Amino acid sequence: MPEGYLPLFVFLIVALLFPVVLLWAAALVRPSTPGQVKHEAYECGIEAASNARGRYTVRFYIISILFVIFDVETVFLFPWAVRYRQLGWFGIGEIGVFLLILVAGYIWAWQKRALEWV
Amino acid sequence: MQSHILSIVLFTPLAGLLVLLLIPGQNKFLIRLWANIAAALGFLVSVPMLLSFDRAKDGYQFVERADWIPSLGVQYLIGVDGISLLMVMLTTVMGFLAIFSSWTSIKDREKEYYAMFLLQQVGMVGVFISLDFLLFYTFWELVLVPMYFIIGIWGGPRKLYAAIKFFLYTLAGGVLMLLGILTLYFQYAQQFGRYTFEIAELMKLNMPLGLQQWVFWAFFLGFAIKVPMFPFHTWLPDAHTEAPTAGSVILAAVLLKMGTYGFIRFSLPLLPNASSDRTIVTILATLSLIGILYGAFVSLVQKDWKKLVAYSSVSHLGFCTLGIFALNQNGIAGSIIQQINHGISTGMLFLIVGVIYERRHTREIKEFGGLAHVMPNYAIVFAIAMLSSAGLPLLNGFVGEFTILQGAFEANKIWAAFAVLGIIFGAAYLLWLYQRTMLGEITNEKNRGLKDLNWREWAVFVPLIIWAVTIGVYPKPYFDILEKPVAQIVHRVHQSANMPLAAATVVPPIAAEARVR
Amino acid sequence: MPGNYMPSAAELFRFSPELLLTAAGTLLMIFEAITSPKQKRSLPVFAFLSLLAALALAVAASSDPGPAFNRMLQVDGFATFFRVLVMAIGAVTILISTNYLKQAEHEGGEFYSLVLFSVVGQCLMATANELIMIFIGIEVSSIATYVLAGYLRDDKRNNEAALKYFLLGSFATAFLLYGVAWIYGTTGTTNLSGVRGVLLDPQNAPNAILISVALGLVLVGLLFKVSAVPFQSWAPDVYQGAPAPVTAFMATGPKAAAFAAFLRITMWAFEPVKNHWIPVLWFTAIATMIVGNFAALRQSNVKRLLAYSSIAHAGYVLVALTAASKTGTEAAMFYMVSYAAMNLGAFAVIAHVARKGERRVEIDDFAGLGNRQPLTAAIFTVFLLSLIGVPLTGGFFAKFYVFKAALDSQLIALTIVGLLNSAVAAFYYLRLIVIMYMQPAPEGVDTLPEPSLGIRTALVACSLATVVLGVFPSLVLDIAGRGASFIR
Repeated sequence: MPEGYLPLFVFLIVALLFPVVLLWAAALVRPSTPGQVKHEAYECGIEAASNARGRYTVRFYIISILFVIFDVETVFLFPWAVRYRQLGWFGIGEIGVFLLILVAGYIWAWQKRALEWV
Repeated sequence: MQSHILSIVLFTPLAGLLVLLLIPGQNKFLIRLWANIAAALGFLVSVPMLLSFDRAKDGYQFVERADWIPSLGVQYLIGVDGISLLMVMLTTVMGFLAIFSSWTSIKDREKEYYAMFLLQQVGMVGVFISLDFLLFYTFWELVLVPMYFIIGIWGGPRKLYAAIKFFLYTLAGGVLMLLGILTLYFQYAQQFGRYTFEIAELMKLNMPLGLQQWVFWAFFLGFAIKVPMFPFHTWLPDAHTEAPTAGSVILAAVLLKMGTYGFIRFSLPLLPNASSDRTIVTILATLSLIGILYGAFVSLVQKDWKKLVAYSSVSHLGFCTLGIFALNQNGIAGSIIQQINHGISTGMLFLIVGVIYERRHTREIKEFGGLAHVMPNYAIVFAIAMLSSAGLPLLNGFVGEFTILQGAFEANKIWAAFAVLGIIFGAAYLLWLYQRTMLGEITNEKNRGLKDLNWREWAVFVPLIIWAVTIGVYPKPYFDILEKPVAQIVHRVHQSANMPLAAATVVPPIAAEARVR
Repeated sequence: MPGNYMPSAAELFRFSPELLLTAAGTLLMIFEAITSPKQKRSLPVFAFLSLLAALALAVAASSDPGPAFNRMLQVDGFATFFRVLVMAIGAVTILISTNYLKQAEHEGGEFYSLVLFSVVGQCLMATANELIMIFIGIEVSSIATYVLAGYLRDDKRNNEAALKYFLLGSFATAFLLYGVAWIYGTTGTTNLSGVRGVLLDPQNAPNAILISVALGLVLVGLLFKVSAVPFQSWAPDVYQGAPAPVTAFMATGPKAAAFAAFLRITMWAFEPVKNHWIPVLWFTAIATMIVGNFAALRQSNVKRLLAYSSIAHAGYVLVALTAASKTGTEAAMFYMVSYAAMNLGAFAVIAHVARKGERRVEIDDFAGLGNRQPLTAAIFTVFLLSLIGVPLTGGFFAKFYVFKAALDSQLIALTIVGLLNSAVAAFYYLRLIVIMYMQPAPEGVDTLPEPSLGIRTALVACSLATVVLGVFPSLVLDIAGRGASFIR
């Protein structure tokens, strides 16, 4: 076995032991009061599992779609920032066009009242 | 200097059609009048062609040539020889008479009706004058569309079935024919290094017998369905029975001839070895004889007047194909004359059915009887048509049938024997029909008040009767016109048949190239 | 090296049609947001004019052919041919759509904007000389089309169509992308000319199996886009469910562009290994023609019928591709033009007859159209005859060239199957003609309004194109011939 892999091996052992030891230690000291609420995945917010026919307002979708769109757009800015110097003025121009299109979408969403809650 | 007479003949109906489309639909009288004028013009412009045709010259006349699709070697190439000249004349005459005969019988959507007839006229003339194979195919398929509408819109009770059957049968045949055309096209390109659809060029091909046979059968399906030969005839009675009178007239007089014309113009000269191949000739002749006898037998038992005439077409066209595959001067010339005769006499018979149908709205033979008492003139016209169709001497049918029999006899005595049998049965069903409808006492009270022929109907029948009698009495001009082109075809077939294929002249590509342009 | 990425003026000029269309599409979104309802009526006019302007630019750009953006795009005769075609398709779509959207009470600049974006994607597919660019083109075109298919969001059928199209479409592009990855893995490049170079290099020939797998995956994606058997099952549902003008667009534009990419990939990049893909296409072509035509025989919904017919037509184009020759490429190019003309026209008639809510899309709804609107019926007949392939219409020469190309390459069986298929196909087109002319309109049928100006213009344009292609095919064929020789 190549020498270089030994630290990795040690790391693996430690990673396995660490949670086991911690959980065991915690169980020793903590008080035990089991309950319905504590079994849920999230103790606040939306129920993890409910009736499939249940509905909630479509505004959540719109907001989340807008979030995804504008968030993903940011991802495109990142490679440009990294290569900022090499790209030079051409890069500035390109990203300007890109942002302009983004702004157009933003204006459209705004005017279509997608940003209003009520 | 090119003469443009053929283009004029071809496009006069089209020009008439375009003008017709501009006439508002409510003005029915004007539409009828103009359609008749346009069709009459179509006939008149074809007369100078007949007069200036030089029957002593070999080859095609009035040839016009222009590039159509240069990249594919497709040309607008038209011209006539004696065979196509007669066919064109038949088309322009019958086309006019068919339109003229519709004056009172069509009352619904007249504009479309006459438009379809004029369009059809363009297609039919185009088929007979095309010397470029793709141009020919274009017109061939073009004819299909108007006839489909004529049957389907203005037809009888089962018109939908008949129209679709007609279209699909002929289209299927046409598609296979196209395959044959393409094969020739590629063979030519392989041998001569150049693409062309020109028929005169394609004749230079030297193809092995096996390939020729394949192409022959591809053509056969296209042409035989159109003729129609037994066993592809089943669309014909339906189409004829359901079509309006004028549609039946055109169908019988011209459309069916496109098939026989195809055999004469393409199958024989382009595929001489296959067409003279013993097996193929035997099969074709047998099918023709079956068609003759079968058509006659089935005619005997028909209850419907029009259906009887339709089946008689199957029988008569059997004579035409038999004549073609006798492969001699008499057979082929007789066949062409018989095609014209069939156009005249069967056209007349359909018109006669139309006359009575317009008055009584039925075609059941047993509804009639003793019509000669109330409609004497009608009975006379019917008698002439019937006798011409049955082949009475001094009328046109005799000339054609007799010459075909001569040709068949030269080729094979047994064929001639069976064909004679067909003539006898032909006379039988026609005479019996005449007896049942015209002679005897008036059996049905409804027939008592029937009016005899009016002047318009006379005007349709008289030219046809005159034509029938002239052919019957003096057929020589027709044989004269046909002599050269037919001799050429016969010579070509026999020359190749007697020459082993390997020894046939192979034209070196370069020499051919130099010779063409 | 700074400045290396800066495109030259010539490159920008070659790419200008796409730039113009993108700008116009974006502007349309803003106009839609900020204009009053009355001003919105000019939005389709704006979209139409910008398509025409882009078309003019594309023609102008063809005077200076060459590569652009580091050889990612290749503006040649071939690209120009398809660019002009898809732009014309987009313009006709707009003509068909305006009145339809008005009836559906769903007018909006977004529709036209999406059409423009989709056209941009299709132009990219036609121009791309690089697998990644083809992929981006397909995505840009498809995503816009997915939305268009579900444009009437209150209509259940629209929703179903959009969802189906989206799910299956994404699946297919995934295959394509995976294939692109394999190609990159085996040849080390995604540039089409680069791939060709590698495949032509006898020293460095890549493993045949790897290439076959890569090519197979790409073909799956492309065959899906052109709705060829066995990847055709989405087409009938989507074509039936989407709004009629969108169906017209989907059946022609994306298909033409997909065939453009198909041709570039098979006839250029993978031409050296054509023995690998010819048998695949041979079987696909036969299956596509047969399945499309025979399934169409039994349809009673006109949109569905034309959907199957368009599957069958894809089969004919595949015959041309199977020929794998310059003639075949030309034939496919010509076919796409005449197919676009007749199909756009046919769907325009359907959009006109169907009207609001598309309640009249059964075959029987066309009964008596020959009496009710003779001119519309006559024009529809021209399209149907062209779809059958009757001479003197574009459809005839399209089929003719395809079969000529096939025979040139000795594909005799394929030709015979194709010819017989076109005879079978006549039956279901004839049924429509029969219904229109030979059956009276049912009692109490509501009156059909005269076609709107947009539809009339579209019908006249498409029928003229169909007839001109049938009478003077050389006009387009010569251009196709020049385009096809560029690709070699």
